[in-house]
Amino acid sequence: MTGISATQKNTGGPRLLKVDGVIKDFPGLRALNRVSFELRSGEVLAVVGQNGCGKSTLVKVLAGVYKADGGDFTVEDAGGGEPVQMHFIHQTRALIPSMTTIENLALGRAPESRTSLAKRRERRRAERLIGEFGLHFDVTKPISEISPAERTIVAIVRALDGWTRPEGVLVLDEPTAELHGEEAEKLFEVVRQVAAGGAGVIFISHRLDEVMALADRVLALRDGAVVGHVSTAECDHDQLIHMIVGRRLEQVERRPSRVGDVVLEARGVGGGSVVDVDLTLREGEILGLGGIVGSGRETLVGLLFGAHRRERGEVEIDGRRLPKDNITASIANRVAYVPADRAAEGAVMEMSVRENLTLPGLRGFRRAFGWLDLRSEAKEVSKWTKLVNLRPVMPSRRLDLFSGGNQQKVVIAKWLRMEPRALLLEEPTQGVDIGAKVAIYELLQQAAAGGAGVLLASADAKELTAVCDRVLVMRDGRIVAEAVGTGLSEAHLLKEELGLSIDQLNTRPSDNEEEILA
Amino acid sequence: MPDQTAERSLVGSAPGTPEPETSAGESKIALVLEKLSFRNISALYIFAAIFIVFSIWVPETFLAESTWRSLIDSQAITALIAVGVVLAISAGAFNLAVGSEVGVGAILVAYFLSTAGFPIWLSILLTVVAGGLIGVASGLLITVARIDSFIATLGVSSVLLAGISWVSSDQQILSLSSSFTAIGRTQFLGFTMPVWIMIAVAIAVWYLLERTPAGRYIYATGGNIDAARLSGIRTKWVIILSLAGCGMIVALGGLLLTSTIGTGDPTIGPPYLLPAFTAVFLGSTQFRGGRINVLGTVVVVYVLQAGVKGFQLAGAPTWIPELFNGVALLVAVGLAKYQRRTQESHALLRLLRIDRPKKGDQPATDA
Repeated sequence: MTGISATQKNTGGPRLLKVDGVIKDFPGLRALNRVSFELRSGEVLAVVGQNGCGKSTLVKVLAGVYKADGGDFTVEDAGGGEPVQMHFIHQTRALIPSMTTIENLALGRAPESRTSLAKRRERRRAERLIGEFGLHFDVTKPISEISPAERTIVAIVRALDGWTRPEGVLVLDEPTAELHGEEAEKLFEVVRQVAAGGAGVIFISHRLDEVMALADRVLALRDGAVVGHVSTAECDHDQLIHMIVGRRLEQVERRPSRVGDVVLEARGVGGGSVVDVDLTLREGEILGLGGIVGSGRETLVGLLFGAHRRERGEVEIDGRRLPKDNITASIANRVAYVPADRAAEGAVMEMSVRENLTLPGLRGFRRAFGWLDLRSEAKEVSKWTKLVNLRPVMPSRRLDLFSGGNQQKVVIAKWLRMEPRALLLEEPTQGVDIGAKVAIYELLQQAAAGGAGVLLASADAKELTAVCDRVLVMRDGRIVAEAVGTGLSEAHLLKEELGLSIDQLNTRPSDNEEEILA
Repeated sequence: MPDQTAERSLVGSAPGTPEPETSAGESKIALVLEKLSFRNISALYIFAAIFIVFSIWVPETFLAESTWRSLIDSQAITALIAVGVVLAISAGAFNLAVGSEVGVGAILVAYFLSTAGFPIWLSILLTVVAGGLIGVASGLLITVARIDSFIATLGVSSVLLAGISWVSSDQQILSLSSSFTAIGRTQFLGFTMPVWIMIAVAIAVWYLLERTPAGRYIYATGGNIDAARLSGIRTKWVIILSLAGCGMIVALGGLLLTSTIGTGDPTIGPPYLLPAFTAVFLGSTQFRGGRINVLGTVVVVYVLQAGVKGFQLAGAPTWIPELFNGVALLVAVGLAKYQRRTQESHALLRLLRIDRPKKGDQPATDA
């Protein structure tokens, strides 16, 4: 990618950080190869790239966790001989979940007396700090009870609170991994304000659309080297993907689906945030399920499978009635469920790939005296790891030592092995890099082509438009719209999800389907 | 569906990367080295060190055959109880009632034999069944009443102690028939019966955990109960049955204790809790890369005891054994955690390396 030169957008602010030819070697691997860039006051620099491109190594070098093996980075003098302050906010944020916003913001400062007056002062201070970003939420709630975006914002506020001057460097490592639409927007607004206040922000993300919306410049890494360093104004999604991936990803191919008989039918299903849902899933189709957080989208899939309590309604699979809240019966009826939270529900992280892959349907390997036929199990597992292209090909390695994308491939493979009639998935590409994302979409299409009905719940409207044959939109626990064919556009889905009329809608003009890959 | 699709290569690889068909990381030599690494079998290396040190220090007593014979005999019941604990903790149930369950086994069998006057076979059967029922009760408290296993078994433990006190009136139950005490004392092929019983139970539990689907379900439930449940495993049954199995094995241990010492002692059980847990956790650092396992547990019981015995023979003060056990546990588990971290960072490197495969790619093992 030498074609794209490092164009420098002149933001005018003073330079805060200069990274000059940083090299980091691990045994047998160059994780960072002459990475150079500058960060100026007032700008947002996005660092993008696939899993393993060197993003996290870069952050660790900047944070001082790793020592660079070559090159150097210099933090500018902030005046008065003090270097610019840097602060890192990681995916796992250093807040104490059981303590309130007030208490978290007061952490590390000299303890005040515990009089009610002092407490009130602390509270007003917390509200003021949050309010500076135009936000208002209950600062007396424990961190664990506020939304993920608000949590990130509290972490940012706390970081900034410790700065003696506004010209600092803030590094956000995948801050939006668990945020959706408006939540992420809330965070972006704060990031923009932080930059406007004079800070330089380094923003590390998987999601290219966010990057385009937020950053002034993009630094793309591949195999530890800078493969692109451009201003966001001068490049589009396509180019960005091209830089990151090194070749143009073919579009997810939409095969004309041969939709057959009804596989799964739900009538009047309710429970939790789902009020009343009817739906039909047919053989060979990929049915999308959209909706904002709280619309019931997150609950419905688990409800159909039996993972959550079904309070009302009927679910039929191939015409047979599925008993309520009975996971074993669902699996026996060849219904498969890939939950959104892989680590908590999707897989046993401390078990090996092999053990995870065969967990459902292990009985197939049982011989006399309960003997587990490890040889044929290994054979079956190697067939599936090849099929889903697991990397590295180490089926006896613990699952938590694999990347998110490979973990998800294993979770999907374990269900595909059961030859499901209905494959139900929640956010299957969350926290997964682009390469693995495409692989997962292809797996879903294979499943559908093989005659399964696939139900895909996703917060990402682009994903739905690109992958699905038909999309149902949920709002307030009900299905409020169905989009098929030409009606299946991102803008249309967003409109339905939010319940807006078209003119209220403010989407960016590009509606290219290739964006889905971001 | 998958069978038709299996033939085709489906998934586009991560871009620009050649396809390694099999990874060098699974190579045989690497696996053997990994198996022999200090991390994996530290207990055996420690045993070698203990053996050498005490062989030089107190050779005439430490190397005596009778020393080893009595060591193996005396620890058989501890090892048996620890094997029971393996079953419970593998399923994620921290059974703190183990000590009391040993006590129940010890006192019940004496009660059935002397006070109730039951025949030996019936007394043994009833005692083991009682142990199983206690396990079922603990399991129901955890799965149905949804009480955390620590708290549930702590409560059960206290209740059991009360029961023991009530049944025995805090008195030892004496005058057990010699045909019962013979079980614990008879030698067979040079070792007492408890050794052989322990070996038989250990093999059975090993087989269950390592070689049957049930064992996989137990480990999955202990590893991530929600993921296990969503994979179709009946996790409630897994927990209840694991605790029942644990209760039966542990009650058997208590019963053998009574048979060995010849009296039903109401205070004999609780001191077995800590050694059993120590062995299980220390054992988890052996052989199976952090997974709780039978072989590691049994080996650790004996390695620790070899150290303790050596100190005793060398005339060390009485508090040395406790200190030795405690330090061994903390060091072994601490070391395993440290190495797990380095293993993870090596795995991270491997992930980074995927995008540029190299020849002779070594697995992330460290010395």
